[in-house]
Amino acid sequence: MQKASIYPLGGAQRLRHWRDRLSAQAGLTADPLEQVQITYYDSFDGRLYAAGYSLEQTHTAAGAELRLLRDSGRQLQAALAAALPVSGFPADLPPGELRRRLEKLLDMRALLPVATLQVRRYPLRGVDDEGKTRVRLQVESVGLLDGGGKPRMLQKRLLLQPLRGYAKSARRLAAGLARDFALETATDDLYALALAATGKRPGEDSGKLDIQLQGDMRADAAARHIAARLFATLQANEAGALDGLDSEFLHDFRVAVRRTRSLLDELKHVFPASLRQRFTAEFAWLGNLTGTLRDLDVYLLKFASYRAVLPSELRPALEPLRTFLLYKQQQERVERLTVALQGKRYHKLKQRWQRYLDAPLAKRPVARDALKRIDRVAHRRTWRTYKRILAAGQAINADSPPGELHALRKACKKLRYLMEFFQSLYPPEQIQVAIKALKQLQDNLGDFQDLEVQVVSLRRFAMEMRRRGEYSAATGEAMAVLLETLETRRHQARDRFAARFKRFARAQNQAAFKRLFRPAGGAKTS
Amino acid sequence: MITVACYNLKGGVGKTATAVNLSYLAALGGAGTLVWDLDPQGAASFYYRIKPRVKGGSPGLFRRKRKLAAAIKATDFPRLDLVPADFSYRNMDLLLERQRKPGTRIRKLLKSVRGQYQYLFLDCPPGISLLSENIFAAADVLLVPVIPTTLSLRTLEQVLAFCAGEDYRHLRVVPFFSMVDRRKSLHREMIAQRSGALEQALATCIPYASEVEQMGVHRAPLETYAHASPAAGAYRELWAELQRRSAAR
Repeated sequence: MQKASIYPLGGAQRLRHWRDRLSAQAGLTADPLEQVQITYYDSFDGRLYAAGYSLEQTHTAAGAELRLLRDSGRQLQAALAAALPVSGFPADLPPGELRRRLEKLLDMRALLPVATLQVRRYPLRGVDDEGKTRVRLQVESVGLLDGGGKPRMLQKRLLLQPLRGYAKSARRLAAGLARDFALETATDDLYALALAATGKRPGEDSGKLDIQLQGDMRADAAARHIAARLFATLQANEAGALDGLDSEFLHDFRVAVRRTRSLLDELKHVFPASLRQRFTAEFAWLGNLTGTLRDLDVYLLKFASYRAVLPSELRPALEPLRTFLLYKQQQERVERLTVALQGKRYHKLKQRWQRYLDAPLAKRPVARDALKRIDRVAHRRTWRTYKRILAAGQAINADSPPGELHALRKACKKLRYLMEFFQSLYPPEQIQVAIKALKQLQDNLGDFQDLEVQVVSLRRFAMEMRRRGEYSAATGEAMAVLLETLETRRHQARDRFAARFKRFARAQNQAAFKRLFRPAGGAKTS
Repeated sequence: MITVACYNLKGGVGKTATAVNLSYLAALGGAGTLVWDLDPQGAASFYYRIKPRVKGGSPGLFRRKRKLAAAIKATDFPRLDLVPADFSYRNMDLLLERQRKPGTRIRKLLKSVRGQYQYLFLDCPPGISLLSENIFAAADVLLVPVIPTTLSLRTLEQVLAFCAGEDYRHLRVVPFFSMVDRRKSLHREMIAQRSGALEQALATCIPYASEVEQMGVHRAPLETYAHASPAAGAYRELWAELQRRSAAR
């Protein structure tokens, strides 16, 4: 679409006044008033916005339409004459281009409303002797619906929309308008207007980890800063986790919990011991509480891939598993998560943790490392964890029990968290290279353990389903085939470990880690 | 961009009605759509109320690459544009003959609009000529309206024989029954039998209907003024079936 010109309308005159004046002055045909309600959607973490897209749902008298746009709303990517499903999941849309694009952009995330505009407009048209429209002009008002009954007025304006192949007509009308109205170069992007009015960017509140530290900060101050960021993420995802809007709220909630535990554990001598003990236990409780539900979320996310490994005639027989998983998921959410997150213990945990985060720093802290520079502490901890991983990984051979790989996975997670906490202290490219090397190893270890957990859980589910009488012979066969496939994959992941670890531990990577984290002088570390 | 050419060797079989109604439905479904009215009679341009004139005529189009984009006009419907017909198109063959690689000139010309649209509909003049060869080379789908009569079947077989050549292997010929009059026994029989070349025909038939003829009075796609009519429903079904078939490819 060609770029529109916008002329703001001042004064208190009603839209109708401008419509009548313009249609008389410029000989334009006026069409009846259109009222459009536009709701913009994005995932909680703003995936569409980050990728340069916007998704709008328009409601007019004619019905609802969903449109995926790019380039500040100028380039239509896909559209569908339908409203967004209540679930907010693109997978629940009718099949087609829009669904395909959204599924790719959003993955497992659901769409939530970002802002809603109400647009009232009188369309005006310049028509030639064939009855063909050569130029379009709109007299319109744009208001923001932010909860209250009446929209908050954002702009009253004229919008001149040139049509392809009819530039001359648009120029002629623009010349006429220029005499009476000031042209504004302002954007014709209504989404930008809505976001500016709400003062928020999509994804801003999702609590993505972005920790900025200075190397000479007191270690206890830095640690507290990190803890505060993690706590913000946890709280930002709490409501979505409770409602189960999509699986990622609970996931991000859990990651924030795990990172906090890691922080307390890794920076042992930065936090006061009594506090550390109390909160380690509390956050561990929160982690354990949500583990089963997260596993169920994962199985449901993977369900399509479970189906895919089966021969097509067996696929319907797997449906009882989905029903069972959904039932368990619901049960976990209502009976455990909701009870806990609305209960006293969680409330107290939050209150006390917040009190600690808000308290002034101790003048003479008891913790040994509290007054040290954070960069020194960071180097030392990261380097130690790295060396531990190298040693543990090298000790693993083809006959090592799975427990050793699990322990290594945990250590890798800790290292990853440390590198992410302290990222801002290191040169960005160097730390990214190190994180990437680690991530590849983690993927392999993750696959191995996830598959093992899946096999164990699915076996348990099969037993439970049989007890509940939801288990036909065909379902049994489907589950058997599925388990066999997962077993094979688990073995494959185990077989790949040696090569992956070798790659992680190669000299080039070791040198990179050394450069980044080895304490100055290469002295012995405590 | 998927290029759909509405073509038949025979005239008066509903090519333009197909191009106009399907292009409208494509744009309505959200796809950026372009129609090129290649018929010097300019019926598609007329239905979309656009003057059948291209600056510089067909010689102008071939002179420089960007000329096709400059000839594009917006229709009155969102996402739907049109390259109008021009009376000079009647001499297209002569002009093509003088170009280098005369059989693929149109395909080359279309490169400049490729990224801008999801669908391109070519409304082709009847006959089999150098222009038709260009259309076969440029199109992905050759959509052939066939009136269920013996003569129409014969022309379809001629078209298929011509398109069987090595150069048009990419081309998918898709016939469908057009202007079907269920009161005529011959129509009913031919549709039931689907013999020979008609085996490939789409399941949807477009009925012979006065609403379709009225496109000339309304100067608009059927869907805009007779949404509830059986003919409009048939075009919707035809478009859905065609999309399913291209997706199945």
